[in-house]
Parts: sequence; structure tokens; C-alpha cells
Amino acid sequence: MPASFLFGQFLGGLTTAMFLFLIASGLSLVFGVMRVLNFAHGSFYMLGAYLAWQVVQWLTSSGYGFWIAVVAAAAGVAILGGVIERLLFRHLYGREELYQLLFTYALVLILGDAAKAIWGTQQLSVSRPAILAGGVEVFHTVLPFYNLFIMALGPAVAVGVWLVLTRSTAGRLVRAAALDREMLAVLGANVGVIYTGMFVASSFLAGLSGALVTPIQSIVPGMDVEIIVEAFIVVVIGGLGSFWGTFWGSVLYGQVLSFGILIFPSFSLFSVFALMAVILIIRPWGLFGRPVR
Amino acid sequence: MRRMGALVVACAAAALAPWGAAAESTIRIGFPMPLSGPAAVYGVPVTKGAELAVADINAQGGVLGRKLELLERDSKANADEAVRLSRELILKNNADFLIGTLTSSEAPAVSTIAKENKIVFIAPTAKTIQLTGPANLHPYIFRLASNTDIEGRTGATLVARWKDVKRVATIAPDYAYGRDAVAAFIDFIKKARPDIEIVDQQWPKLGQSDFTPFINAQMGKRPDAVFCDVYGGDFVTLAKQAGPLGYFKAINYRLADGGEVGSVDEARALGADYPFGLWSDAYDPVVWSGDEPPEHKAFVEHLRAFTKDPYGSGWAIMGYSAVEALAAGMKKAGSTDSDKVSKALLGLTFDTPVGKRTFNTATHETDSGEFWGEMVKDEHYPFAIMKEPKYLAQGPLTN
Amino acid sequence: MTVPWSGNRIPWTLMVFLAALWVPWLGSRYDTFLGTQIAIDALFAVSLNLLLGTTGLVSFGHVAYFGIGAYICGILMKTYGVPFALALPAAWLGAAGFALVFGFFCVRLTKIYFAMLTLAFSQIAWAICFKWNGVTGGDQGLPDVPYPDLDWMSALPGLDGLRVSDRFYLLTLALVAVSLAALRRIIGSPFGRMLTAIRENPERAAFIGVNVRRYELAAFVVAGGFAGLAGALFGIFNRGVFADYLYWTKSAEVMIMAILGGMEHFWGPVVGAATLVMLNQQITSYTEYWPFVLGVILLVLLFAFPGGIVGGLVAGVNWLRRRGGGRQSA
Repeated sequence: MPASFLFGQFLGGLTTAMFLFLIASGLSLVFGVMRVLNFAHGSFYMLGAYLAWQVVQWLTSSGYGFWIAVVAAAAGVAILGGVIERLLFRHLYGREELYQLLFTYALVLILGDAAKAIWGTQQLSVSRPAILAGGVEVFHTVLPFYNLFIMALGPAVAVGVWLVLTRSTAGRLVRAAALDREMLAVLGANVGVIYTGMFVASSFLAGLSGALVTPIQSIVPGMDVEIIVEAFIVVVIGGLGSFWGTFWGSVLYGQVLSFGILIFPSFSLFSVFALMAVILIIRPWGLFGRPVR
Repeated sequence: MRRMGALVVACAAAALAPWGAAAESTIRIGFPMPLSGPAAVYGVPVTKGAELAVADINAQGGVLGRKLELLERDSKANADEAVRLSRELILKNNADFLIGTLTSSEAPAVSTIAKENKIVFIAPTAKTIQLTGPANLHPYIFRLASNTDIEGRTGATLVARWKDVKRVATIAPDYAYGRDAVAAFIDFIKKARPDIEIVDQQWPKLGQSDFTPFINAQMGKRPDAVFCDVYGGDFVTLAKQAGPLGYFKAINYRLADGGEVGSVDEARALGADYPFGLWSDAYDPVVWSGDEPPEHKAFVEHLRAFTKDPYGSGWAIMGYSAVEALAAGMKKAGSTDSDKVSKALLGLTFDTPVGKRTFNTATHETDSGEFWGEMVKDEHYPFAIMKEPKYLAQGPLTN
Repeated sequence: MTVPWSGNRIPWTLMVFLAALWVPWLGSRYDTFLGTQIAIDALFAVSLNLLLGTTGLVSFGHVAYFGIGAYICGILMKTYGVPFALALPAAWLGAAGFALVFGFFCVRLTKIYFAMLTLAFSQIAWAICFKWNGVTGGDQGLPDVPYPDLDWMSALPGLDGLRVSDRFYLLTLALVAVSLAALRRIIGSPFGRMLTAIRENPERAAFIGVNVRRYELAAFVVAGGFAGLAGALFGIFNRGVFADYLYWTKSAEVMIMAILGGMEHFWGPVVGAATLVMLNQQITSYTEYWPFVLGVILLVLLFAFPGGIVGGLVAGVNWLRRRGGGRQSA
């Protein structure tokens, strides 16, 4: 097998990985702080995609239409996430995890149907922005500029979030909230604001990734419940609640998927589930997670 | 606790209440069809075609003095959902017949429901040979579509014609349709061109959202030509992801797709992103250069007026003809009883806008082929058009 | 809360069962259809509630065992022609076996981590069923699972004129009734009381020398087995087994049944299953936006009626009784 080919396969896996990281990072952040798997994260992702499509339709004449749409979609979803957290979700913080999980599932049901009512059931798509339409040939492998952009954006977001979490006061409070919420409240910090901020940031990332995926994937009903499974696998592999675990979990996911298809084409998608199974058996808390009992 | 028991009794009593009495006035046709998701690119126009036929027949007084009623349901291209809907259509809505399902995973599942309830079921578009295979054939199942054997053989004939092709790859959705068509393709290409080697086979799932790893893996095997069965919204996704990776260019657009991506519906969904130059099929080419039959021209005009759409559809004909075939069967039987209609449909010849079709008495199929051609740019249309469509059925390509 | 079945002069459960037996004669084919679905869903939801309500374990992957049971029974009956009388226990044992293996890993974790692990294992089970074309039929599923041979029923008085779907309904009803009785026995037994104790306070249970994990695993296996039984019946009822049975959204649906009826009571999930099936078939007649309606119902439940229907009724009855009692004493 020629090396250039393996390189191409590697890059393909990396593109998949960075897309997934953008989605899963928000899921991981909320889990890390609030200890709840937000099933509606997939719905926010889907709404990001639909909103981006909508804005592109409105701005057909503008050359920057796509980029405006991406920002607008991410901001729109972030606002929606903030409103949902303030009005509803925060009333459930004291309750059992079952109620919190089912709450996010109720959002999946409601937002999914709302998207159907607004945008219909037909598949929609957005064109690649003109500036990133081409590609470059590296090692006999065509690498589209858009994929290159995503490959750069993923680590940039990772480092950015990490810097905020470790270097800023807000970040320190967030990490403290993840460890011991009551203690932080006793010390006088406004935990409610921290949680809202986390939820808004997470929704922003979901909306952003949903908008960014539109040039290469179709927008269809059902993309919400499907993506949440992939993001969930990434988070489980990396370790529930571990931010860098999510990053390396996505990288591993992308490579296993990419080379899995190459080696066992007839099993295609199963390879990542097998990866998850192996990791759960060896380390149920994931690669970078801490054992929690 | 006692009140709880009373509640359970109340629920049970509610279950006993009759739900919707049977309406004798109309002939009810249950119509489960994918109306959402990637398969809706085809499912919606099939439904429009059926609506047109029902409107036409009702305008002429219906069948046996009774009007037709189409009970449309969204099956989401999902076998489980299609089964649930079909049973509900029969048991709750008293459907007299079933027409519908798009995919080869839905149709065999619904066929077992039709058999159990002794209700005629016409599958307008499902192509898997298993649907009417000896193990699954029963008196009530009929297929209007072509089948995977015919499709695979026609695809093989086309690929075999590219003389310098030595390395062939396949990519098809991982379920009955893709598996059966690819099996037929490989079987026939090996006979037609023993020098050809199958270098790669990829099996994405139906509704795949990311084809990139499949495309990369396939390009790595350096095929000269590809037989593809990805269709509908999935082909839109595939084309949008494979184009920038140089997939179509690498195989010099030598790709034969048996999944009707040559239909106007698919071409419109892709617009300028269409990989112009590939070969594909359609049940109705719509834009028919050369010797277009007048009844086809009239049908396309009629459909355009009915759907208020300037172009038409390559799929509406299947929904339209399925309803017409059922109506012809009822007229011949002089009854809406499924046992009589199923007997009447055997050997029945009926008109379609692209020629006469007959249900084979042994296989319950129409043995029909499809129109194939190269998909090219045309200045008159904002989407790809089939160049010189040719109707290809069982036999090898003659020119 | 597992209230012992005492102080009831009227055997309501028996009456409901006897009333349900008449559905094939009094109702339409569609009523039998709904009745079968309710019976199966009820068993599925009660089996989940053994974990959710009794033991306090949030399993978000209970569909795995439902689906595994359905596939085992379906494959045995369709592919290998095994009679129902053997396929059904096989499904029960198989589902319980998988629950033992998956549960072994899951009970090592608690709370949300337990929920996430059960979800992960159910996704793995789904992926296997979705991709193992040769055995499960893959994406396409396993259509045309045969009905069991129920000709022996025609030998019984009064049953000879029934359709096969009606006979299957009666069989399902009987099997579900026996299973529910067994589950009730289990919950009322010392074992069941220990599960409740673990739910109330796992630390204290561990402190008095109870092997909490082993009890949780046992509950997981029992619940998985009965879910498998429900799945096996559903595969036959639905005339086919499909990978969708194991999709994660179905886990949420059965949870909604349990919480809608009320997790605190043994019969709550039964009421929840019946209510949800009826609501679904009524509401889908008017609108295609059933998921939206379900989402709103769920929100109302979570915020206003966390005790569900039965919880609300019991609270209402208690309130009335207190008021009534107050008057009497006055």
C-alpha cells in the first residue's frame, strides 16, 4: 500500500475527527460541569445547520454570506440555549439525574418537530464558501481547503477553550463548580451564572459545528439524534467530563473509522463501536477520565 | 390502590371503543412512502404521481362507481416504521389495498403484512429480487419497478463497454437493494469481461452523513471505473463530498449509478454540484430528445400543470402507473376484493406513459428496464440532463 | 414504594385481566392489536421500573435487552424453525445473559456514570444488530417472523373461531400476566426489599454488610430477562425484528412510560404504557407532530407531576381521605 494513500486516509480521518471534536467539545463541557448528558446538544447542532441555511438564503448576494450565516447561527443557538437554561433547566439542578436526562430528551422531541414545522422534511444543502472552494494536492492526495480549515479550527478551539478554563477567573470558577458546587456557592460565587455561561458556550459550539457542517453534509431531519450518538461515543472514549479526553477521543475515533473502513470495508461503521466496547471493558471511565464510583 | 385499578379498567374500556367506522363510499389505498429524510427526494415525487392518478381517475367517476382515496403516510424509509404504518392502515383505517414503500428494506417487510392480511400490495419502486423471490412470493405482492438483477446486468453491460477499464470498484448502501444489485453486477461483469478485477467494495449505510472515509478508501485502491448504487439524498451528500476530493476526476467520470440518479429529481437536488459525465438511469427521462412518444409528452405536461412545477419528475410515473395498474386490476376483476383483484392483476397489461407493461404471471413483476444515458450539462436547464436516453431492459447493450 | 397487596377487598388486577381477555370477542381487530401492544409495553416498562423505581438505577440502555430478546426469538423461529415454546425461554435466558455481562461492567459505576455506561452498551448492541447482515439482516432487519403454532388453542372451548392474531393476543396476555405476577413476587420478597433499601441509602446498605453491587447486578439481570421476554413477544407481534428496536431513543420512550404512569408504584408503568399507546394512536390521527406532543407531556410531567398518573392519583386520594377523615372525626 503506497504511503501517500495511507497519508490520505489519515487526513480523511483527521477531518472527521475535528468535525466531531467541535460538536463533542460542547457536550463534554456541559457534562464536566453539570454532570448531565445533554441529549439536546444534537438538536442544537441541527438548529445551527438549519439557521445557517436560512441566513444563506437571505444573503444570497453577499460574498461573505456563508461566514455571516455561521456566526449568526452559532449566536442564535447560543441565545436559545441560554434561554432554555434560565427558564427551565436550572429548576431541575437539585433533582435526580433521571429527570435531567429526560428533560434534555424532551427538548430533542420538541426541537426536532419545531425544525420540521419550520423548514420542512426535505433535504437542504449549502454551497462551499467561494474562498475555500478549491483544494491543494499534498503527496498525491487532494486536500480540499475547507477540510484544511476545519482541521485548523478544531485544535484552535481546543486550545482556546483550554486557555479560558485554565487562565481566566471565569475558567477557574467553572472548574471549581465542576468539583464542588456547594462549596463554591458557600464561598459567594454565583453558581447560577457559571452554569448559564457554560450552557451558552456549549450551545454556541453546537450551533457553530452545525453551521460549519452544512457545506459538506446535507441537512435532514434526524441528523440530531444521529450526531448525538457519535459525539457520545467520542466523549465516552475520551473519558466523561475530560476536555482533552474529548479531543484525543475524536482523533482516535476519526482514525479508527478511517482505517477500519480500509481494512474491513464490510464492517465500516462498526469499528468505532468496537473501539468503545474495548475501552469500556478496560477503562470504564475512558482514556482520560478519572475513575468515579 | 383501588382507584388505580379503576383507572386500568377505564383504560381497557377505552381500548374497546370503536375507532373510526369503515367508510364504504371510497376505495382506500394505503400509501406508506418516505416523505422525509434522504429518500424523500424520490418518495415525494412518487406520491405526487399517485395523487395525479387518483385525481384523474376520480375526475372520470372513479372505479366501479366509487372514488379512490389515497392514505399517505411517512415511512421514513424505515422497515420498522413501514410495517407499523401498514398494519395501522389496514386495521385502523380499513385500507383496501396497499401501494407504496420506496426502498428494498421496507417493501419485503410490508409484503409480509400484505400476505397476512390478504391485501393486494403493489411496490412501485423497490428493486430487490428477494421481494418476489420464490421464498417470499405470495398471491398479493406485485412489483412495478425494475429489479436488482436487471439493474446489475445493465450496469455491467455499460461498464464492460469501457474497453480500457481493468479495475472496477463498487459502492452501494448496505441493505438488500445495494447488496443484490452489486451481486448481480459482479456476476455479470465477470462473464462479460473476465479481464476486469473488482478492486474494492464499500458499504455505507442508507442515510450515511459522512462518505469521506469510504471515498478515501476507495480512491486508494485506484479503480478505473465504479458501479454505484447510492441514490437520493445520499447521492447528494456523496457527490458534494467526493467532488472536492477529486473522486470523479480520478475515475474519469466512469461511474455507472443504478440508483436513478439520472432522474430529474436527483439532478435538481444537486444543481451545479452534479458530477456531469457519469452514466445513470431513470424510470422517466422527462427531457426526451428524439422519438418521444406523444403519450409521454402529454403526461409530462399534465404532471407539470398538476404539480405547478416547470420541469416534472423522473419518479412521479411510478406512483402514477401503480395507481393506474391497480385501477385496471379492479376494473378487470369487477371488484375491490383483494383475492379477485390479485388474480386479475396476473398477466394484466396496462398503459404507462412510457409504454405498455404486463405483470408476469409467474413472477408478479413487469420485467421492465429503465432509461439509461450519460448525464450532461444543457444550456436550457439549470441541472444535469440525460443525453440520448435509451430504454435498456434485460439484454446487453446493442450499439 | 412497594406497598404489599393487602387490604384490598376487590382484586382489581384480576378483574382487569379478566376484562382484557374479552377484547377479541368484543372489540375489533384493531383493538386486539392495541391490546397486544399495551400488554407487551407494560411488561417492558415494569421490567425497567425494577431498576428505575425499585433499585434506583437509571438504566438508559434497557432497550438492548428488549432487542436482544426479540432477535434471539426471531432468529430461532424464522431461521432455524425452533418452536416458540423453546425460542421464548431462550430469548429470556439470552437477554438475561447479556444483562449479566453488560451489567457486570455497569454496576461498577454509579449515578449518571451508570446511566452513560448502560447507554454505551446498548449502542454497541445496536451496532452489532445493525451490521451483522448474515444473522440479523442488518439495516433491513428480519421480516416475516412466524406466529407460534397456536392450533392447540382451537381444542379449547370457545377459542376455535379466533384469528391467529387474537390467539396470539391471548397468549401474550397470559404470559405478561404471569411475568408481572412473578415480578411482583420478586419485589415483595426479601430480595426486593433489599433493593429498595439500596435505593434509599446505598451507603447504609453497604455498611450493614450487603454486597450492593451484587444485588444491583441481580436486579439488572432479572430486569434484562423480562425485557427480553417482552422483546421476543414484540418481534412476533410486529411480524419482524429490526435494529431500530435497540436505538437509544427507544430507551427514552420506555422510560417515559414508566415515569408517566409513576415509578413509585408497581402498576404505574402499566398505566403509563396503556396511556401512552392510547394517546399515541389518538393524537396521530390529528397531527403528525406526535413527538412534539410527547415532549410537552414529558415537560409537564417533569416540572409539575414527577409522581406520574398513579402518583398524582394516590396523592389526590390521600388528600381526600384526610379531608374525609377530618370530617368524620369532627
